[in-house]
Amino acid sequence: MAALPLAEIQGFILRGYGMDALRLFILRVESAAESRRLLGKLPVTDGAPWAQKPDFCLNVALTYEGLSALQLPPESLNSFPQEFVEGIVRRAEAIGDVDESAPANWKQPLAGAGVHIVLLLFAQNQNIIEAQSTELRALWAAGSATSEIFAIDGGVLPGDLAHFGYRDGFSQPAIEGGPVNPVPDILPAAPAGEFVLGYPSQFEQFTYPVPVPQELGLNGSFLALRILEQDCAGFERMQNEAPRKYGISGEKLAAKMCGRWRNGVPLSLSPDTDAPSEPIPPELLNSYDYVPTAEHPNIYDDSKGYRCPVGSHMRRNNPRSSTVAGGSGLKHRIVRRGLPYGPPYDPGHPDDGIERGLVGLFIGVSLKDQFEFLMTEWVNGDSFAAGITGTKDPLLGISGDGGGKMFIPVEGGNKLIVSGFSQFVRTRGAAYCFIPSFTALRYIADLR
Amino acid sequence: MNKDVPQPIQKAVQSPLTLLMKIKSEADYQQLNGLLQHIQSLPPDQNPVWAALNQLKTVHFARFVFLNNNTQLAVITTYDGTFENYINEFIDAIGDIFNALLAHMQDAPPLPVQQYRAEFLAYVKANDLRCIDPFYSAYPTAPVLAIQDALSQS
Repeated sequence: MAALPLAEIQGFILRGYGMDALRLFILRVESAAESRRLLGKLPVTDGAPWAQKPDFCLNVALTYEGLSALQLPPESLNSFPQEFVEGIVRRAEAIGDVDESAPANWKQPLAGAGVHIVLLLFAQNQNIIEAQSTELRALWAAGSATSEIFAIDGGVLPGDLAHFGYRDGFSQPAIEGGPVNPVPDILPAAPAGEFVLGYPSQFEQFTYPVPVPQELGLNGSFLALRILEQDCAGFERMQNEAPRKYGISGEKLAAKMCGRWRNGVPLSLSPDTDAPSEPIPPELLNSYDYVPTAEHPNIYDDSKGYRCPVGSHMRRNNPRSSTVAGGSGLKHRIVRRGLPYGPPYDPGHPDDGIERGLVGLFIGVSLKDQFEFLMTEWVNGDSFAAGITGTKDPLLGISGDGGGKMFIPVEGGNKLIVSGFSQFVRTRGAAYCFIPSFTALRYIADLR
Repeated sequence: MNKDVPQPIQKAVQSPLTLLMKIKSEADYQQLNGLLQHIQSLPPDQNPVWAALNQLKTVHFARFVFLNNNTQLAVITTYDGTFENYINEFIDAIGDIFNALLAHMQDAPPLPVQQYRAEFLAYVKANDLRCIDPFYSAYPTAPVLAIQDALSQS
């Protein structure tokens, strides 16, 4: 297809910024008119290529409650999809935000009223975050447009790792008409309409309905914001016990649970070691599949999961060309952005009482067919593929206290059953948001 | 196993669907019958219904039945998961068959179903006769993929 209008589309939909710091603000609309004007003044970052990487990037997203508080016309409000209108709090149980992850246990005020505007300030460093925060706060204080009800900082950890120690963030879909991925996969590019409203989607003859009017909906997308607390101490304890309980090293267990070694080397390319004799260049770390395809017939057939378990975190969330219920693992892809929050985990002080986790941004044109499908069918489901009955995603699934279970297939032998582990990730806040285009921001700003 | 202790009921993954569609006229029945007889007479590798269901890997059984003096067509299936979650894959795989069938039905949703997915889903929900619970299956927790995998190893 023709190139997308990159300057119309918010940048974080199409590319990662590669910035070290993030501050997430949540604003409540106090004055509809002033807040609409504020949206027209924000220095939002688009998807156009950079001549030079900026010091910071800013993106904005709006909840349904926010759109309503901004007093959009009823015909516009009524044109949004049902899952977005309901919001993530009402859909929490269906996607697995239950027990400790239930909205009642989220950080306040994230489960309550007033989550209207989500601002994402990415920057090269924390000093720039502070300087830009001062300017932004002055903007929304003017005219008492909004009040800031929540903020959380994220930042790159040493070694570019996520909190469980894995290198993260390079498995992103290529989007037709969008920029080139720095770490490309070998899968077909996703149709633009899988990630940007108004273009043919991944489903045949189908374009997702665009909220009305076109100025509001076209070139927008949707975001599932997730604040996910990670139990690093519990995860490390499990790895430390692996030799005794399962007869494999902790590193191997960590790799089998995730689908790649902690240094980013995928099991599919290097099943036995994270340091293959022929090192894998960083730009090829995403160049693999789980089964042979017409385009790549010589790929190792890992249908059984001998290299990468079918139930591992990565393979569940992106089964690539694996056989799955419904016939295609390529129709529910999602863009993943975000950064860790909290300080690095120190094994010398395992129970330091400090909260750490991930500010996760999960983007797609349909919250229902992408984010929610992943959570219900692939993360917490056990019937979408063979060999995973009775199990869930070992990192994200609802395992409760000691209910975790996964299978590690062993070629020529009995599968290894890893069980009795607890849930390592719990939801501490979330929101469903609409990501407006630049025309949409102007449209909202100009509403009277 | 101690038989005196109630065992937890495992979560069923299979569901029944009994879609009952009302045929417009005798002439429409004749055309529908001709179409279905033709499709079903094809060898499995050329039968588009079989090909679609093989691709989906969520449908255990499916059959077409004319009812009530050929005034209605029933599609009776047993499938895995929720119909709603896999509606898009279902339409991509077998949408053209339903376009052909629904052209002969009263109160059909707008066609083609590929472009009116929500309306097709609503139509299926509205015309699913459901069943008097519980739905019996000899292996309610086994999805198609697990059964096929087990059979491939036997």
